[in-house]
Amino acid sequence: MKPKLAKITLDQWDARYEELKSAGLAEPFYGGPLRRHVLDGDLRLADLKFDDSPAALRLWNFLLSEEDRLFSARDGGKKIVGAMKDLGTVPVMALGLPNVVAFYPDGAWWIPCVMRLGDELLGIAQSMGAGESFCPVRAMLAAFATEGHFPIPDLLTCSVGATCDDFSAIAQRLTDFRQSILWWEIPARRVPQVGEEAVDLPGGLTAPVSQVRFVREELERVRRAIEDMAGAKLDDAALADGIAKANGIRRLLDELRYKAYTTTPCPMPAIEMLVAEMLAIHFCSDRQECQAVLEELLAEVNRRIAAGLGVQKADAAGIFVVNPPADLRLMNLLEDCGGRVCGSDYMFGHALDEIPPDVEPMEALARTALADPMAGPAGQRADRILRDAEAFGAEAVLICRIPGASHCATEGAVIAGAVEASASLPVVEIEVPPLIDSVRPNIQTRIEALVETARRARRRRK
Amino acid sequence: MIYAGIDAGSRTIKVVLMASKGNRIIASGIADQGIDQERLAMDIFKRLISSSGKGRKDISRIVATGYGRNAISSADLAVTEITCQAAGVRLLCPQARTVVEIGGQDSKLIRLEADGSVRDFDMNDRCAAGTGRFLELVAARLGVGLDKFGELAGRSENPAVISSMCAVFAETEIIGLLAGGASPADIAAGVRDAVASRLTALAGGRLDDPIVLTGGVAMIPGLADVIAKVLDRQVQVSARPQYTGAIGAAIIACSRPEHSP
Repeated sequence: MKPKLAKITLDQWDARYEELKSAGLAEPFYGGPLRRHVLDGDLRLADLKFDDSPAALRLWNFLLSEEDRLFSARDGGKKIVGAMKDLGTVPVMALGLPNVVAFYPDGAWWIPCVMRLGDELLGIAQSMGAGESFCPVRAMLAAFATEGHFPIPDLLTCSVGATCDDFSAIAQRLTDFRQSILWWEIPARRVPQVGEEAVDLPGGLTAPVSQVRFVREELERVRRAIEDMAGAKLDDAALADGIAKANGIRRLLDELRYKAYTTTPCPMPAIEMLVAEMLAIHFCSDRQECQAVLEELLAEVNRRIAAGLGVQKADAAGIFVVNPPADLRLMNLLEDCGGRVCGSDYMFGHALDEIPPDVEPMEALARTALADPMAGPAGQRADRILRDAEAFGAEAVLICRIPGASHCATEGAVIAGAVEASASLPVVEIEVPPLIDSVRPNIQTRIEALVETARRARRRRK
Repeated sequence: MIYAGIDAGSRTIKVVLMASKGNRIIASGIADQGIDQERLAMDIFKRLISSSGKGRKDISRIVATGYGRNAISSADLAVTEITCQAAGVRLLCPQARTVVEIGGQDSKLIRLEADGSVRDFDMNDRCAAGTGRFLELVAARLGVGLDKFGELAGRSENPAVISSMCAVFAETEIIGLLAGGASPADIAAGVRDAVASRLTALAGGRLDDPIVLTGGVAMIPGLADVIAKVLDRQVQVSARPQYTGAIGAAIIACSRPEHSP
């Protein structure tokens, strides 16, 4: 029997880091021990368990140094685009210009979790009128107010319309800081009517040509705004180059996800895979480095698969995870309860699909943007989840409800119903607040019971 | 061979000793929950062994379940109350296809396969409304013990309407009702009805017959009838409803290890 790889605590990472450095670990410019992020206030790291590979260290360091990268870009004279509620389109455009950096302000939703409320962002957001009835992304509002987590962008864009009501309401409050926003609209994606001219979208979807044309016009406004801000032309060649590079990352992630989610024993922990997937949306403002981070992670996964090494027991129950949890500890907990991730849908499935390479760049980006799962009916998202759960061999489905997020209130039931009806997989929907401490026993019981039920069903099938 | 199931619930600890032959219950005991769960559980356990004329070495395996299952270090295995409730109901009500369990701090709805294993389940999220703890708070506010709560509610002629689903707000509402002259019986009946109504939201229409009610709250007289009325289905109270989880744990302890969850 092959040994099981250990997941290690932050304290253990201190020693592991020294060991790796002594062995000649080469690190990128943002390297260093994980401990330094705790000293910067990311207290939650002390409660997590991590993969112990240099590839995972690089991944975490890349994620947690985004703030430094953005302030450094500002100091270096680069222009900064904040792409809000954009799950993978505007950053592809913005990074087509060498003097432009794009980032994802929505990522601030994890700050209260990572900082264990140390930055009081949720309290500040509440004082600004965005209390618990809103999605935890309200932390972003407070991050804009404090200006401590990212520089105020030179251009702030936000998709609006069929994407997310909560987000639109929160983003609108940014005008309180005289922060102008370029709103671009995503219509509610619909199935083409009989005889209506239609076009295929990534992810096996279709939409009327008229809707794609509308989104394309909206994105043309974004393109012009980026050009105006940068003082440079963002031509089709630059866009095509950006799309090709973004697709490179998407292909990397596709391979990484397939291998990590289908190989037994599981070669990479759930939490590192969650972070890796998140890179697809915004590349942590550095697409080139993002690619290098993912390549190293994939190489580690390949090495482990070849050696038959895993981070979970071979009999771990395969869980398909829907929606990112607001508290990262949930990913550790899932594994502690005997589960492993076998597939995921973190609400940006379209950012994992290749951007169509064989059409004009703006057309390709419009099709990709319209394929946003939040822009279409929950049933279509459920269809994709069913398809992916089967492809990844999932044995159960865990739906993480995000407290205050309006889309979760309705989507969860639709997805759960579809899974029960079509896949006959056990499914559990749990609410995951930014700090799970008060509900941890309840959450743990439900995940353990889900694992027990999945294992029992596995035995019944044999 | 003798096996033990320990249900370390949020309000009480239950222990069952079971003979593997015929899954026969040899002894059972209960105590209020406290700070040192392990000691409380082991006190009952030792008392039951002693009263059965057995020794510790006669117990082949212990399975712990319930909210405090992971605190019982003497157990060989910890299994969730969801799986244990299903196993217990399988013994006590073999035909059951849905288990409604109202425990001390949560409510569960468990749908079963034909072989009695868990098909799927749901639990209330974080709120205590509709749980044993909630009823206990209300009973105390009305000046009766939980054991008299059902009887009190049964005397109601005009059940009050409890609109709040939050335990804290409901208590405030009850204070207001009392101040407004509502009788304790009507308030108790209103709370009982609210608990039953809450289950419909949890069920979401996913109920397969026959439905069995378990958990300590199931012992409140009249509650099953109200739940049946609200759900518009027949609801049967399990034999020994408070012990169903511990019985299930003992059954799982009796199973061969490879058959454990």
